[in-house]
Amino acid sequence: MAQRRPDRALVTAGDRMFWEWCGKHELRLQACMNCGEILWPVVKACEHCGRDALEWRRMSGRGQVVSWCTFDHDYYRGLLPVPYDTIMVELEEGPLFVSNPAGFTAEVIEFRKPVRLAFLTCEDAAGEFELPVFEADSGPRKALADVVVQSENQ
Amino acid sequence: MPPSAAELSCKAAIVGVGETDFAADYRAWRARGPGFEPPEVEGLAACAFERALEDSGLARSEIDGLSVSFLYGGPTAPEVAQMLGLKPRYMIDNGGIMAGPLPVACAAVAAGECDTIAMVYAVTPRSLARKFGGEPMAGTAAPPSYYYFHPWGWSSQAAHWAYIWRYYQNEFGATEADLGAVAIQLRNNAIMNSNAIMQTPLSIEDYLASRYIVRPLRLLDLCLVNDGGVCLIVRRADRTRHLRHAPVLVAGWGESKVRSKKMHTLVRERLAPQIQEAGDQAFSMAGMGVSDVQHFECYDAATIHLIGQFEGFGFAAPGEGLEFCKAGGMAVGSRMPVNTAGGMLSGAYMHGWNHVAEITKQLRHEATGRQIEGVEISLFSLAQTDQVHPILFKRGVA
Repeated sequence: MAQRRPDRALVTAGDRMFWEWCGKHELRLQACMNCGEILWPVVKACEHCGRDALEWRRMSGRGQVVSWCTFDHDYYRGLLPVPYDTIMVELEEGPLFVSNPAGFTAEVIEFRKPVRLAFLTCEDAAGEFELPVFEADSGPRKALADVVVQSENQ
Repeated sequence: MPPSAAELSCKAAIVGVGETDFAADYRAWRARGPGFEPPEVEGLAACAFERALEDSGLARSEIDGLSVSFLYGGPTAPEVAQMLGLKPRYMIDNGGIMAGPLPVACAAVAAGECDTIAMVYAVTPRSLARKFGGEPMAGTAAPPSYYYFHPWGWSSQAAHWAYIWRYYQNEFGATEADLGAVAIQLRNNAIMNSNAIMQTPLSIEDYLASRYIVRPLRLLDLCLVNDGGVCLIVRRADRTRHLRHAPVLVAGWGESKVRSKKMHTLVRERLAPQIQEAGDQAFSMAGMGVSDVQHFECYDAATIHLIGQFEGFGFAAPGEGLEFCKAGGMAVGSRMPVNTAGGMLSGAYMHGWNHVAEITKQLRHEATGRQIEGVEISLFSLAQTDQVHPILFKRGVA
């Protein structure tokens, strides 16, 4: 059953494409076609160089938890049962992505815990959608530094 | 914000200050006995203005400028002028949160738009039951300086500070008890200020027993929410001799905004690049250096946010701010007194206006019970999640 969530439309304007890609189980963020900066949340023009030629670049879905917090205060007035956890994931490509842990809780998080992308079927006032979340990455652990070097060499 | 130009330095001074009864009004709201009427910004603004005018010793007719800052809505400047019986030749609806409005007023005075400007601020977030996270109230947008990631349940100012604090803990090995030292220091300061809302001594056990709001942050890590008003009267610096109090000169200001990688800059760098840039502007404008600062008033939306700014200005090395606080270094009479009236954590949530009011009292040498001996130069820092605005103040000749 789809989990009820606060409205997506409140994240920021112009995010329809983001959610369409999520619907295909792909995490895609805007990337500047001029300077290569990856931008999140959604922007109209590159925050780094100011150009507006942007593409939706697919993220690998791998990353590490670099911060996290647990909501005890019920800001959403019962819509999300408290307490619940949120994580800040440093994606392999560099951006920081605010999300929820899937299949683990804050108690077991260690700094730089490896995680990988998953999707959770949710619904809000506008209907069902796929929410990008992150599960523990138990696969072969690759040093993030190596991955960064590889992608820079490409 | 007007440019951080040396020719604007010390051209205007604060000569009057008025505050509403933060502590008494807070207690009245909590009790809400029979006949209680929630305050409105008009009444709070009028109260703060009348007190500031009385404090300055100036005649009402000498107020020829008016600046109004009602963060959550209120009357226009012409309406306030009529309400206060003023006939200003210069009026401005001037933002809300402190830092921005003061340089604007100083520049207006320097440009000859007016000689003496009353700056009025009032808010009623408690009576409005303003929410600080979750889905926006009808008719209001989320503050533009905050990112809210609603579908993941991530919103509120507190969430920003919580991510910063968790990251800081991992980076430097700091503990929750270490952070409690900040709440305790500001409570100790508040107890020396009869208009501060929180007057009960706080122990580390009390701190660690307080409930979490957004773990790892507790209720006592986050600023108060209260109704109130502050008025500052700012006058041409060449007309401040022989007034009731020593003038408090506005010596320098700066402004730096985060342009990209906002979450990275906020959570991992704690705005250090912006603090550096805006600080350089303010110090350069004032012809001062950071070692000249004897008193620091800091926008303490949260305990950890105070530490980020304290370290960002170089009062302690990165990762050493909490130890500095635990060792008593932020107390009056110690190395760098911070938020000597209790700040927003234990004094009153007046969006930085209370910090500037406290600087005014300290530099006049009238901060009874908590005076920093011989203080001549104070620094105020506003840091929001994506911008930093410091202001430097200097005691003038009475």
